[in-house]
Amino acid sequence: MSQFSILLHYEWRHFRAARGLVLLTSLLLVVGLYGIYYGTTEVARQRRHLAELPALTRHSEAELRRKFAGPADAGEIGYYHYTFARHQPSPWASLALGQRDVNPYYLKLRLLGLQGQLYASENVNPTKVLSGNFDLAFVLVYLFPLLIIALCFNMLSHERELGILPLLLAQPLRPGVLVAAKLTFRGGLVLGLALGLSAVGLAWAGVPLDGRVALWLALVGLYCLFWLGVALVVAAWQRSSAVNAVALLGAWLLLLVLVPSLLQVCVAAAHPVPQGLALTMQQREAIHGGWDRPKTATMTRFFARYPQYRDTATIRERFAWRWYYAFQYLGDQSVAPLAAAYTQGQQQRHALVAHLGWLSPALSAQTSLNALAGTDLPAHLAFQRSATRYHDALRAFYYPFLFKKIPFTHADYARLPTHAFASPADLGTAARGLWQLLGGVGAVYLLGWALLRGRAVAPR
Amino acid sequence: MSYILEAKDLRKQYPDKLALKGLNLQLAPGEVFCLLGQNGAGKSTTINLFLGFIEPTAGAAFINGLEVASNALKIKQYLAYIPENVLLYPHLTGLENLSLLSSLAGFKYRESELRDYLGQAGLPAEAMARRVGTYSKGMRQKVGIASAVAKHAQVLLLDEPTSGLDPKASNEFSELLRQLSGQGTAVFMATHDIFRAKEVGTRVGIMREGELVDVRPTTALNTNELEQLYLTYMQ
Repeated sequence: MSQFSILLHYEWRHFRAARGLVLLTSLLLVVGLYGIYYGTTEVARQRRHLAELPALTRHSEAELRRKFAGPADAGEIGYYHYTFARHQPSPWASLALGQRDVNPYYLKLRLLGLQGQLYASENVNPTKVLSGNFDLAFVLVYLFPLLIIALCFNMLSHERELGILPLLLAQPLRPGVLVAAKLTFRGGLVLGLALGLSAVGLAWAGVPLDGRVALWLALVGLYCLFWLGVALVVAAWQRSSAVNAVALLGAWLLLLVLVPSLLQVCVAAAHPVPQGLALTMQQREAIHGGWDRPKTATMTRFFARYPQYRDTATIRERFAWRWYYAFQYLGDQSVAPLAAAYTQGQQQRHALVAHLGWLSPALSAQTSLNALAGTDLPAHLAFQRSATRYHDALRAFYYPFLFKKIPFTHADYARLPTHAFASPADLGTAARGLWQLLGGVGAVYLLGWALLRGRAVAPR
Repeated sequence: MSYILEAKDLRKQYPDKLALKGLNLQLAPGEVFCLLGQNGAGKSTTINLFLGFIEPTAGAAFINGLEVASNALKIKQYLAYIPENVLLYPHLTGLENLSLLSSLAGFKYRESELRDYLGQAGLPAEAMARRVGTYSKGMRQKVGIASAVAKHAQVLLLDEPTSGLDPKASNEFSELLRQLSGQGTAVFMATHDIFRAKEVGTRVGIMREGELVDVRPTTALNTNELEQLYLTYMQ
């Protein structure tokens, strides 16, 4: 039996004797299982809501069928009929809810101006949103480092403070072997727990067994290895357990709270985006101004975009649905540059944060896990683009009825466009996160190794 | 003549103090060298240099002909160390602590053999399977002694080993040292205990302010003369 195996065996004995650590590890196991339960429950709730939406649309249609028993003006139908753009979560969303709690996962759409509808969402209690999601990704990214700190803060200092280190080092034992055995035992425990919880989460969520599974496990494994490496650096620094604990908690605070917060502030300053409220207000003003503008001016601008309807009858009546929908459309067009700047700014902010992930492995891990689960900002923006295309399809469906004065019959309800959108995984961002974590792991182990090589382990 | 332990112009300079001023010393197998001196005289520094725990500023320490600084791992196969206060894993039993230390030294013993070593060191049988956290200082010291014996070391480095032992245990320890010495083990013992030094030592050295100021064979002095000599140097 090698010295390494002997030390590993005794590490297990030491761990079993430390009841506080056993309790903490068990607690994290329970918390991890709760995180999986929370995520799957939340996604199941969202799926249930999404599944109920077609029934609401059918209900709306049933009411319109009753209200308009015969052929109707499509303008009336377009005004009252509502449908939904639905953002279906992938099974991965259960493991990393990302922004699915703050961004709407469905949009109620009518034929009116789109921009106001894109940002309309259910009212939520901000204090509930503030606390964030308690999903598996949260447990892995935020709580696992705390377990690693609890397991490793006295990795070498414990023996020194206990007074047994001189006796151990008086044996033909390389200090490196002692440190390696300690780190291996703790690494095995942490990785076993993190990867085990991930396996349970993946099975529970019913994710398909493809390359993303390996990517998730690699991200989780590297993130844990990074924190174990930080603990190695602190252990190699050879200070007291109390100093080590303070240093590790400081690193946790720095990498999980301070750096991400500062990064968000800097990124927001680097890429200012127009306020969503300003965008909505401008669109509302443009649409409401449509009532007061001359109809010919409105229709001329509209026909410039839709020349196929230029030859339709001139509007002489006081109100016409096609004029109404034309200035709704023009209201959207008036804020198009602002909306594009808003979306582009958000994308740029996200991209910059993802690029600077190397500054905080926690940020990198969280961004990567969200990207893998399709619950990040790009996924939401993709959903918004999909909803925009759906609204365009609705316009394209209704406009011939409006401009060619075709009566809307009951049979036409079945021809209304439908929407389907499933979260895409951003493998590029996840892969970049993997490289960033790999770099972080390399850096901390190199530093730890250099410190151990450069400074002999002091037995006292 | 080949020496099992040797110091050649061994110096150790700490940032604030010159702890050892060119120590020259040789121990042959079976010899028991007792180093007397006040606290801070350089006794523990000398032991730490032989253990390779610290590096000399100048000169060299040798164990079995190997320079300690460049063979820090190899030389530990030949030596055993008992500090003034043996501290062990408190949640493990005496048997388990001994098993760990022996295993790391490369000796895999059965439980009966471990019990023999602990018994030889004077640990009561009923205490062997008890957690070390319940042990007295003297009992822990006996586990340390057992680990040194179980290692079959050629050199024993002892730093105030009988500190905290009761007179009976100290006497048993002296007897054990005599046995080991008879088997060819060289013993280097730093101590304040003049009586014990005279009793078990073959030579005594007196260290003052990092300097070995006198070395005498124990046969040349009785206990009173040794005490007088020591007090003279300490004035």
